[in-house]
Amino acid sequence: MELTWEIIILQIIMGLALGAIYVILASGLSIIFGLLDVLNFAHGTFYMLGAYAVFVAISLCGNFWIAMVSAIVIVALLGGLFEITLLKRLYGTEPIYPLLLCFGFSIFMPDVIKLIFGLVGKVVEYPKIFQGAAFVGTLILPKYRIFLVVLMGVVLLALWLFMNKTDIGMIIRAATRDRLMVSCLGINVSRVWTVGFMLGVGLAALAGVIAAPMVQTIPNMGDEMTVESFVVVVIGGLGSLGGAVLGGLLLGQVVSFVSFLYPDWSNVAIFMAMAVILVVRPRGLFGEEGRA
Amino acid sequence: MHKSNGSNKSMINRQGDWRTRFEFRAMIVAFIFAPFLPFIISKPLATEIIVYGLFALGFNLLLGHTGIISFGHAAYLGVGAYSAAMIVFYGEVGVWLALLAATIGGLLVAIMIGILAIKRKGAYFAMISLAIGQMFFFLTLSPLTRWTGGEDGLKLPPLSIDFPLYVNLSNQLHLYFFILTIGCLATLAQWRILNSPFGHVLRAIRENEDRIRACGYNVSRVKFLSLIFSGLFSGLAGGLLVVYLGAASINLLFWMTSGVIVMKTVLGGTHTFFGPVIGAGVFLFLRSTISEYTDRWELWLGALFMVLILLFREGIWGSLLNLIEKRFYHSKL
Amino acid sequence: MKKASILMLITAIILVFAAGTKAQGPADVGWVFPLTGPYGAYAEEMKRGVEMAVEEYNAKGGILGGPIKVLIRDSELKADVALRRMKEYVDSGVPIVGGNLSGGISMIINQWANKNKILYMSTCHNNIGQGEADRGRYGFTSGIRSYMTGNALAEYAFDKLGKKWMVIAADYRWGHDEVAAFVVKSQEAGGKFLEAIYTPIGTRDFSSYVPKILALKPDFVVLAVFGSDLVAAVKQFNELGLTKRTKLVLPKTAVPIMKECGAAYDESIYGAVTWYWKLYEKYPNAKPFYQKYVAKYGGVPDADADSGYVGAWTLFKAMETVGSKTDTEKIIDTLETMTWNLNHGTEKYRACDHVREQTVVILQGMGDKAKNWDLATVVAEVGPDKTLQSCENDLKDIPYGPVLKNLPGK
Repeated sequence: MELTWEIIILQIIMGLALGAIYVILASGLSIIFGLLDVLNFAHGTFYMLGAYAVFVAISLCGNFWIAMVSAIVIVALLGGLFEITLLKRLYGTEPIYPLLLCFGFSIFMPDVIKLIFGLVGKVVEYPKIFQGAAFVGTLILPKYRIFLVVLMGVVLLALWLFMNKTDIGMIIRAATRDRLMVSCLGINVSRVWTVGFMLGVGLAALAGVIAAPMVQTIPNMGDEMTVESFVVVVIGGLGSLGGAVLGGLLLGQVVSFVSFLYPDWSNVAIFMAMAVILVVRPRGLFGEEGRA
Repeated sequence: MHKSNGSNKSMINRQGDWRTRFEFRAMIVAFIFAPFLPFIISKPLATEIIVYGLFALGFNLLLGHTGIISFGHAAYLGVGAYSAAMIVFYGEVGVWLALLAATIGGLLVAIMIGILAIKRKGAYFAMISLAIGQMFFFLTLSPLTRWTGGEDGLKLPPLSIDFPLYVNLSNQLHLYFFILTIGCLATLAQWRILNSPFGHVLRAIRENEDRIRACGYNVSRVKFLSLIFSGLFSGLAGGLLVVYLGAASINLLFWMTSGVIVMKTVLGGTHTFFGPVIGAGVFLFLRSTISEYTDRWELWLGALFMVLILLFREGIWGSLLNLIEKRFYHSKL
Repeated sequence: MKKASILMLITAIILVFAAGTKAQGPADVGWVFPLTGPYGAYAEEMKRGVEMAVEEYNAKGGILGGPIKVLIRDSELKADVALRRMKEYVDSGVPIVGGNLSGGISMIINQWANKNKILYMSTCHNNIGQGEADRGRYGFTSGIRSYMTGNALAEYAFDKLGKKWMVIAADYRWGHDEVAAFVVKSQEAGGKFLEAIYTPIGTRDFSSYVPKILALKPDFVVLAVFGSDLVAAVKQFNELGLTKRTKLVLPKTAVPIMKECGAAYDESIYGAVTWYWKLYEKYPNAKPFYQKYVAKYGGVPDADADSGYVGAWTLFKAMETVGSKTDTEKIIDTLETMTWNLNHGTEKYRACDHVREQTVVILQGMGDKAKNWDLATVVAEVGPDKTLQSCENDLKDIPYGPVLKNLPGK
């Protein structure tokens, strides 16, 4: 099978779209870790909750876009509830305990979903206007994939504006650097943490929403996503948003091209990529020395 | 957190001595009690408790005794298991060599993870070890499927031992006692390691890594050594699991195996020696019991685990030790 | 003190549960299904099938003067757990075991069962009885031999859909079996093989293969993957317009799969199943089964429910005929010679290798015309005479064994 330029372009688009999901998912993980020092082992669980929330919202209102926004809000609120009632109690203990609490939640929650929605998965259809592909000469341009890439750009821009141009965003960035100083300035850091956690799981939910039409929407769909978002963050450098973006895009391309050329190795490739980067640059692409 | 954070130095030692002595006695009692276990609960469950208890002990070398959060222990167990199964399958060697191969398999994984990640701290190590564990899972599953059997696993012929005495490992009771013997020996070996000067350095690293570095220790090297010991014990557990199952199966390598061993260890108590074994036993028993009542047993186990993390972070055995300490030891002071 | 009381409460609850476990007496048959894990939905079907067989017999007053008792446990889709459950059953005096929903695990159990002379009734797609090593007196399957569905589908595809074909297969024994089935049929029918892609289990991105498929222009693509992988593949191929340009043929499909794909499961998708609920219109004996299932559980019974039901039903029937619930040897002799007429006409277990001789059903998807549980149309039924190799061939594992050793594209 020869690599023609059409195939290469298509593979790049597929990789970008795949990367978009990784980027959105991993930036949420990165924000939570940077701010709270909590490794959110339940990140994939919130991704799954996003997919189920959008399913419920679509069957209630019928519109993909309204459903998308409400799904993110619902999951962010759930995340906030989780943070305030459970996670908050563990700040100040050894770092493993918040991590383990999230892990316990990731075992607990899929079964709750199974009890509510049953074992058979749910269907989330593609939004009407992005179904199918456009053809430019011999080139195929899958509409939904291109939408994902654009959406990623929009989300990242919004995130950048939020972090750099709003007060709360600036407080979040400051708290990521030095939480003691921020609390000395009379800011309620605890509330900032809650907002940061909600933002992070909201991003996870968005990733779940946009992935839902492409994959099987079942209660355990998030299990592997947790691991893969870890890989993205390790490659990019822990706690660095830019790193998460670059890492996500890189992994998208790796998966796309390796599955095309060596299908056997498609699942191994991302971990190999991580191992190579760790050997060359132990703290990840954008990681700060000392934090990890 | 841990009791030895107290300021009075002699007090630390005496407390530590008390705990050590108490745990040693408890261990001996457990050894005496263990031969009766298969007559109380089912033989396979008893066998699994011993194997996973050994695995949890090996795991806790890192988590409890050195303070390293590893989420990649499925790799040690699984690579150990596959080393054992493959050397029996292709090399047609006996059980002893298979167990040796398993131990070496665990060792090699430990060296690899150590080289890549030993300098990383806390959550970062957890993520890297988890990812490397998954790498072994997918390697075994697909690119190496020609040798490993992939998803189908590797089935072995019936196993038996001729030296030093004949044991038919198809007999469940004989199998149990064989695994128990090795489990006890390995437990004693680990006890010896942890109560050597090396073990004390490990615990000191857990309490305050920077201070130990300032004392002139090469912290990374000590951690690496701890990782290697952990790999040896976990690999051995993987080998025993293959002897018990008569097959190597892919799910041993899946990352949930790592997650579950963390749960078992924390359930028993990470800041103790014998806690992980108790945790493994209680966990396996609970899982087996709850799943007889409901298909949604993960819900109950997950909820129980969250309660444990929120309220009883010292685990079952740790909380019990603290309680006894408070009641009996302090009253004598 | 608050902590202590919580701890005591938890302990008390656990002890009560544990005491209850011990109180359960021995059962007649012990079943193991992966009720948790990725195949939970299919395992649930099998479990229901078994429960329905038990209910049917117990409504008649049981057998040999007492009700039938079965135990059903979770294997978590793990070989070690499945084996432990089996051993526990045998330990507690259960003479016959059954179940499983993974070729690999059921082969491990089959080997153990033959070694220990325990009657084992497997319920899934597997290779029990194929090749000398996996043939034994004690293993039966009420599911199907893996290559049979592939054979039936290949027969249909080369006849109706075209000759140029390629395959995307899950990289393990079952996927390889389906490839081998198509390779052999392709040689017989003059098919033209283009390409084989082997994907690891857990592959979620299939869009990367689309450019390759479009460039090769096959008449049909064999999609020998299952579970999450299959749903992702169908959804993505549909999204990218592949289903408009070629046909997809699925050596194994299922009602949950069709349901989870939604409108993406359209008319260009042909899948093989061992049973489909609409067959009750053709086989009168299937009607009560269908009606009872719908009344009890809602939804519709799937092929896995049929496998569980037939596996359990035939065991009970054999027990009744022999006049003993525990005489394994005589029960095996009876199973080897008996026939039954349940959901799929007259069937039997082939005496030499204990595989259920059953008809494979080919289904065509309905896309957005699908309503509720009406998800596919039956386009063909292919009998075991067309799909099953002779006893001697299967013992030597020809023609598939040599193909498996030398798979195209490997």
